[in-house]
Amino acid sequence: MDAVEVRSLRRVYRTTIGVLRRKAKEVVAVDDISFSLRPGELFGLLGPNGAGKTTTVKMLTTLLIPTGGTALILGKDVVHQADEIRARIGFIFGGERGLYWRLSGIDNLRYFASLYHVEPAVARKRIASLLELVGLADRGKEKVEGYSRGMMQRLHIARTLLHDPEVLFLDEPTIGLDPVGARELRQVIRDLQAEKKTILLTTHYMFEADALCQRVAVINKGKIVALDTPEALKSNVADLAVVEMEVFGVPQDVLERVRSLPFVDTVSLENVDQRQSLRVQTRRGSEAVPDLVGVLSGLRVGRVIVREPTLEDAYVRLVGGEA
Amino acid sequence: MKPGLWRQHLRAGLAAFEVTLRINAPDSFVLFTIVVQPLIIAIMAMWMLVERGAANALYVVVGSGMTGLWSTLLFLGGNSINWERWTGTLELMVGQPTPVAVIVFGKNAAVVFQSLLSMVASYTVAAILFRQPLSVEQPLLFAVSLLLTMVAFVSFGLVIAPLFLLSPAVQHFQNAIEFPIYMLGGFLFPIALLPGWTTPFSYLLAPFWAARALHGASTGGASLEELAFDWGMMLLLGAIYLLISGRLIERMLRKARSEATLRLE
Repeated sequence: MDAVEVRSLRRVYRTTIGVLRRKAKEVVAVDDISFSLRPGELFGLLGPNGAGKTTTVKMLTTLLIPTGGTALILGKDVVHQADEIRARIGFIFGGERGLYWRLSGIDNLRYFASLYHVEPAVARKRIASLLELVGLADRGKEKVEGYSRGMMQRLHIARTLLHDPEVLFLDEPTIGLDPVGARELRQVIRDLQAEKKTILLTTHYMFEADALCQRVAVINKGKIVALDTPEALKSNVADLAVVEMEVFGVPQDVLERVRSLPFVDTVSLENVDQRQSLRVQTRRGSEAVPDLVGVLSGLRVGRVIVREPTLEDAYVRLVGGEA
Repeated sequence: MKPGLWRQHLRAGLAAFEVTLRINAPDSFVLFTIVVQPLIIAIMAMWMLVERGAANALYVVVGSGMTGLWSTLLFLGGNSINWERWTGTLELMVGQPTPVAVIVFGKNAAVVFQSLLSMVASYTVAAILFRQPLSVEQPLLFAVSLLLTMVAFVSFGLVIAPLFLLSPAVQHFQNAIEFPIYMLGGFLFPIALLPGWTTPFSYLLAPFWAARALHGASTGGASLEELAFDWGMMLLLGAIYLLISGRLIERMLRKARSEATLRLE
């Protein structure tokens, strides 16, 4: 039996627009997706913001009722057997919310341990070891309101492990963490996987998925556009090279001209502080650079590098440059 | 339900009780609702009713204490589920194995327990500021009445809390509900002073029977039979409120899970 089994899952949000003449509007957040997680697997769900990752996780954690399809967690239906699922899963959603700020870290964990029916003696031992695991042993008695974002995130990890769940849903757990905190958290995730926990991890950090996940599903506009191992996904772009150019203030029409070049496969533009990073996937490799620089003539162009594609490039290609 | 599960739910409810007490303790709004507002009401009522000989001081102490009880329940107990939503913990509350009703019960019990301070504050003002003789005529019966009052108020709060989340429109009238219950409950003056058509509404409110029992036991104006009737009504209405709240919480959760409103984005 699969630990997580998702079949044709769909979620539509209904909302209204207008004040006097209200019109119903439907937004398809998750559109007929199917996948499964084997017991003990660390599975990545990748996608840009608004792709449907969090909606999927909320349906799998029984917090949101699907509009269509089915999802089974440890063989139980998320809609009709939600109560049986809740004691056996753990989940965290990225961010600072979801903790009682006026209580200490330890008191937060004690409270959630009671809600999860962990016996007090067991809870005491587990809280101590979990605080150790997430590096909060010396700050556990302090009120959460004084914690940094990273500390809160680590406390969330401890909270979700209190009842020793079989399946974990980690929704962008490293978002907003400093690099050191994120690296430590990734190590915690690796350790959990070594303990044979089944983990569904959503992220939009490709290197994170590459480093941690055994299989990855790429979700875009509510649909799964690829599902494979990170290596297999990378092989999809093995014939491409990536030209990465440091640019400043690229107008939309110039971006469209780059996109329309016949040798260009995918283009993405990312703002990095005051500058932008233009990434062009092309089969022509370094030979494409003079033509690209030509299209950008008149604009300030900084460093240009040509490199091998990564999983992130495979992902960018799959989501059409929207990453 | 398995016997072990009862114990686990009880422990979870007590944990919710303790956590709510600790979270509310340093809150200035809580302090205002529990202590300051009932004190203002007590002082005004002492001037208006006691000094003019319209009521005895103990009646006013109990009555103004009950206004604190009700206001606290309305604003804190009523918003106990919404508060979790505002702080982003409602999803966690729903996504764990303890029923939400158990947690809300624990939270409301804490709020009602805290609001007993209202009565202490009113008592202190009457005794010190107005130098009124304050001795409860039937202390044991008063204690039983107070215990049942707490049960009745907690169960009443369990109806209000999911209602506020089910219908934000109802919550908008939160302030408007506060004073009518003071009057319909007969907290500060007998409902006989109100128009006759309001009496059935009072009878449907457990706070009315609570006020009757507390006033009766404190002033010695009620027989044991009358008090037993008040207690019975509190228990009956409390049981009805619990049944209604169970349904409401179920509906609220279904609606919130369908409409994705467990979390404020």
